[in-house]
Amino acid sequence: MSVQSASLTPAAQEPRPVSGLAQFVQMNLEVFRRDRMALVGACIYLFFVLVALLAPWIAPYSPLEVIQENGIWLANEPPSPRFYLGTTNLGRDIFSQLVYGSRTALLVGFSAAVAVALIGTVVGLVAGYYGGWVDTLLMRLADIAFGVPFLPLVIVLVALLEPSIWNIVLAMALLLWRDTGRVIRSQVLTVKERAFVAAARISGAGDLRILFLHIAPSILPLSFLYGSLAIGWAILTEASVSFLGFGDPDVVSWGFMLQDAFVSQAMSRGAYYWIVPPGLCIMLSVMAGFFIGRGYEEILFPRLRRS
Amino acid sequence: MQRSVVVYLVGRIAQSLLVLWVVVTFLFFLFRLAPGNPLVAYIDPTFTEEQQQALMRQFGLDKPLSVQYLVYLGNLVQGELGDSFFYRSPVIELVMEVLPNTLYLTFTSLLVAYGVGVVGGILLAWRRGSRLEQMGVTFTLMTRSAPEFWVGMILLTVFAFNLGWFPSSGATSPGTLYASEWDKLTSWDFWRHMVLPATTLALYLHGLPLLLMRSNMLEVLDEDYITMGRFMGYSELRLMVRHAARNALLPVITAMALGVGYSVGGNVVVENVFGWPGLGRMLVRAVAASDYPLAQGAFFLIAVVMVTMNLIADVLYGVLDPRIGAGQQAQH
Amino acid sequence: MRRRVLSILPVLLALVLGLSACAPASAPASAPQGAAPEAAKAEQGAEPAAEMGELVPQIVVLSNVQAADPIEFESTRLVVENMKQLGLDVEHRAMPWEQQADLVWYNRTEWQMTAWRMVGRPERLDPDEFVVNLFHSSTAEKGYNFVGFQNDRYDQVSLAQRATTDREERRQLIWEAQEIIANEVPYAFVAYPQLPFAYRSDVWKPDTIVDAKGIGIKNFWTFVQAEPVGDQADFILNTGDVVQAINPLFISGAADSWITELIWDRLMRVGPDGLPQPWAAESVEWEDNTNVLVTLREGMKWHDGRPVTVEDVIFSFQAPATDEAPMYKPFVSKIAGIEKVDERTVRFTLSEPWAAFEVASLAKINLIPKHIWEPILADLATKEENAESYQEETPIGSGPFRFVAFKPSEEVILEANPEHFAAPKASRWILRIIPNVESALGQLRNGEINFLSEWEGDPTVLQGVADADPSIELVATTEVGFRFFAMNNRVAPFDDTAFRQAVAYVVPKQAIVQNIFKGFAVPADSHVSVALEFWHHPDLPQYDFSLEKAREVLAQAGYTWDEEGRLRYPAGR
Repeated sequence: MSVQSASLTPAAQEPRPVSGLAQFVQMNLEVFRRDRMALVGACIYLFFVLVALLAPWIAPYSPLEVIQENGIWLANEPPSPRFYLGTTNLGRDIFSQLVYGSRTALLVGFSAAVAVALIGTVVGLVAGYYGGWVDTLLMRLADIAFGVPFLPLVIVLVALLEPSIWNIVLAMALLLWRDTGRVIRSQVLTVKERAFVAAARISGAGDLRILFLHIAPSILPLSFLYGSLAIGWAILTEASVSFLGFGDPDVVSWGFMLQDAFVSQAMSRGAYYWIVPPGLCIMLSVMAGFFIGRGYEEILFPRLRRS
Repeated sequence: MQRSVVVYLVGRIAQSLLVLWVVVTFLFFLFRLAPGNPLVAYIDPTFTEEQQQALMRQFGLDKPLSVQYLVYLGNLVQGELGDSFFYRSPVIELVMEVLPNTLYLTFTSLLVAYGVGVVGGILLAWRRGSRLEQMGVTFTLMTRSAPEFWVGMILLTVFAFNLGWFPSSGATSPGTLYASEWDKLTSWDFWRHMVLPATTLALYLHGLPLLLMRSNMLEVLDEDYITMGRFMGYSELRLMVRHAARNALLPVITAMALGVGYSVGGNVVVENVFGWPGLGRMLVRAVAASDYPLAQGAFFLIAVVMVTMNLIADVLYGVLDPRIGAGQQAQH
Repeated sequence: MRRRVLSILPVLLALVLGLSACAPASAPASAPQGAAPEAAKAEQGAEPAAEMGELVPQIVVLSNVQAADPIEFESTRLVVENMKQLGLDVEHRAMPWEQQADLVWYNRTEWQMTAWRMVGRPERLDPDEFVVNLFHSSTAEKGYNFVGFQNDRYDQVSLAQRATTDREERRQLIWEAQEIIANEVPYAFVAYPQLPFAYRSDVWKPDTIVDAKGIGIKNFWTFVQAEPVGDQADFILNTGDVVQAINPLFISGAADSWITELIWDRLMRVGPDGLPQPWAAESVEWEDNTNVLVTLREGMKWHDGRPVTVEDVIFSFQAPATDEAPMYKPFVSKIAGIEKVDERTVRFTLSEPWAAFEVASLAKINLIPKHIWEPILADLATKEENAESYQEETPIGSGPFRFVAFKPSEEVILEANPEHFAAPKASRWILRIIPNVESALGQLRNGEINFLSEWEGDPTVLQGVADADPSIELVATTEVGFRFFAMNNRVAPFDDTAFRQAVAYVVPKQAIVQNIFKGFAVPADSHVSVALEFWHHPDLPQYDFSLEKAREVLAQAGYTWDEEGRLRYPAGR
């Protein structure tokens, strides 16, 4: 059971086996075809990706631009056709910030997800397949990673290195592979006893070939599961770190917007148009990750499906 | 059997200590290897070279790194965490002063979250397939996805700034002096301050036990003995509570022990939103003020709580789940 | 070094995401340049720029990060944009304060220009500290003259004012010092901020709240004199800062100094008018330029009941002279000797005439009980730590308030000392640590606190609250401190006065005051604030924002613009 997971996975349950590349692809499609929530999640991401790509065309202003009229800053403007979500206390367009914030969120989310899933998968594969001291070493490392408080570590890393979203990704890559690694390891332990692996070995396939061509595809859905959960986790983390004031001051993110609102007395002004939208965007994108994760879980652990 | 339990426990404790040692070492070098003079924020520009040196000596920063490290470890074993640059006083006193506040907040919110979560989980499993279940799961996923500080900000705006029902910051009213911790814990004032931060945390935390409970229940409900019970004409409610829930509860309890550890680290954000005088706020403040000894100390204490709770969770799992037995390490 | 530790990750990422085109949203390209130097070119007429000098190098302007200091950050952004209009290649580099300070204070040749601020403190109500420390050449290497300003006349004038005890004569010298700075422009001044404070007039009688020049209503006199309207007699105020220490021999955070002032008496105090007045001293008498006779008030007692004696006074001024209280040492360094004249009188002998002695020493040094501190200091003398690291369990002073409790991240509680010669009207003084200003405002509104002593937020929000609630009074006071852009006089191109003047012309003071300070500031023109009416020079060159003037100054000094509109040094430089 992982605390960061959506979730739902009872410890004792064995994931459904998947073998072969074709079956793998088919299964991924199946996730979205059969699970409406997963489909919704995918749509949310698709939407945010489109917004991020088209940001310069969607956003009427650039996110940090101070909008002026005859030398007067248009600060604290309420929502209007000109400023869909009003302006900040320093005359910046909130809607444009929201649009550009999707770039940061996706960038952090996807890169952290890839890092976490990649490291976790490789660790799990290697530990599970080779066993012995390699396994012991990697699993002790995972134990250590479980003992490090996550958010405090991110704060310390970001403060000591430099306020950058890459350091947030780094911190996630350093710690969060532990969940993925453990689960994949135990999956590999069962898979490697299966007949098709033995068959491959008899036909003279090398370790690497067996590992990556035969075993990996069958555990990939698990990597995807943890990867999709990591997306949300990363977006939340970036937002929290920015909110605490350790974010990159030149990068507009949803967390940055909320911090800006928090320190600029948006609450006293009753500027809901400033506080609510960034939080909703964070929530939606994190939820999308959970939805997709759930989709994978329902395929992997079919007994969970509603009766 | 008895012996294997002892061996397991000793091994598990040794492992926890190893984890702590690695954390401490990593942290120590992370802070020391950061560029710049660690004391830069505390050396007034008018200081003479001599005064600066004296300050460096006072904090032991004039010695080689390896010596500093050994001194640090030596002190740590004796429960010393060095002196804070900022407060100029022992870190251990500073962190111990706020640790109780963090623990009160954590336990309160966890109790609420797990109470609500378990009951909610049973309810959703009972109503499986209904609209209620769908809505319940969606709502839970929403609260798990919403940033805690954002939920906190909204609660603050509504209940503190607009309605004025609850205080917006701190743990006590101005000028309140308690004779003892017990007095504090039994005072109405303290709990009134607790409501908003604990609610914020509980909203986030209740998702895990709820979803876990629900899926465990669904699994247990498929078991033969429940089907048997159904044939024997037991009411659905009785089956749910007396039989299914009891079995489904196990993993939730261990999850809670783990949860304490995680939320002590995750409290950071909520404590900052509500100005709660706890460990998380102290950590953020220390990091921002480059008070490395204090930041290290606060971090260490959080890690200790986490590792201890991991340990307890593992042991609990072994004790509670007869299928596993204490000799085997719990898998989670 | 510390930058881009992780160059691999972006690569990895680019592989995965087709998002490489959308790097995180960062500041857009600045307004189009190029059009700027047209005017200047025209001025030079048809003369071919045959002897163009070297290109003016790239300039990096430092500031704090936006989250920590939005005012500084935004002002810098504006100035940088304007400097670009002059044909300069300028980069705005924001960094946390520690890094900025590390560069500016300890690497004095490695920065060019930075946004900076000097904060107001009661002892700065005498212009001496700013006038001498900021620009005297002796403080250029390590002290406050971090811009490396060198001017012989200034050195003379600034020291002369220190030795002049005649006020009118001293004023002329201080005016001359301000003129030199205004002409040489080591700083481009921005503004004297106005500090907004607020209190509940249904708790405190408005006529007992004291507005001190340059400091505002949050001051010692308010704390002691405020009179409650009804039963609520606890003076409850906020601070966003944490309280670091309560120690009479350690100058720690800003919040701490308010506490120290209340627990420990001083011989003199800076009054609401900015001038020193006798406090624990009954009288202060200058026998000549270097001898000062001080008579102690009768019947004073320490909080532990023991009487305050002349020996305590002498001890209080001797203790900082040892190495145990390095921060207070400068304030006693010119005292050559202290002599007990009788049971109530002491004579201070100065090593040289010192006009600021009353403000910077008599009104600065805390009177501490000898019977408590003598053994502590003797013990500390044998240790590595000094008195700054010593925290008394229960601090003992003789001041108008007594110590009750100190909860490091929550609050500090003091109670009135009814035996004091100026016993406070309030019954307790409670300093609440409230990190979020918005919570502080909320608490002022619901009466949890009754004095808002710190408002880092938008002043217009506070104004709105005060306008809506008749029992909340807002008082804004112009500060002694000021904000400015420091230009490093040691390095090119800022080693040229004309260049510095040109930069001064592109600082849009009015726009900054109006838009960034929201009107809660006054444009600045000197290092002696307008808050110090008596000392402030009323008629200095203003450098009102004007790109044309800036170009004119540069052109006159021989600077030119090339084809692409880039600024070049005068030929031969």
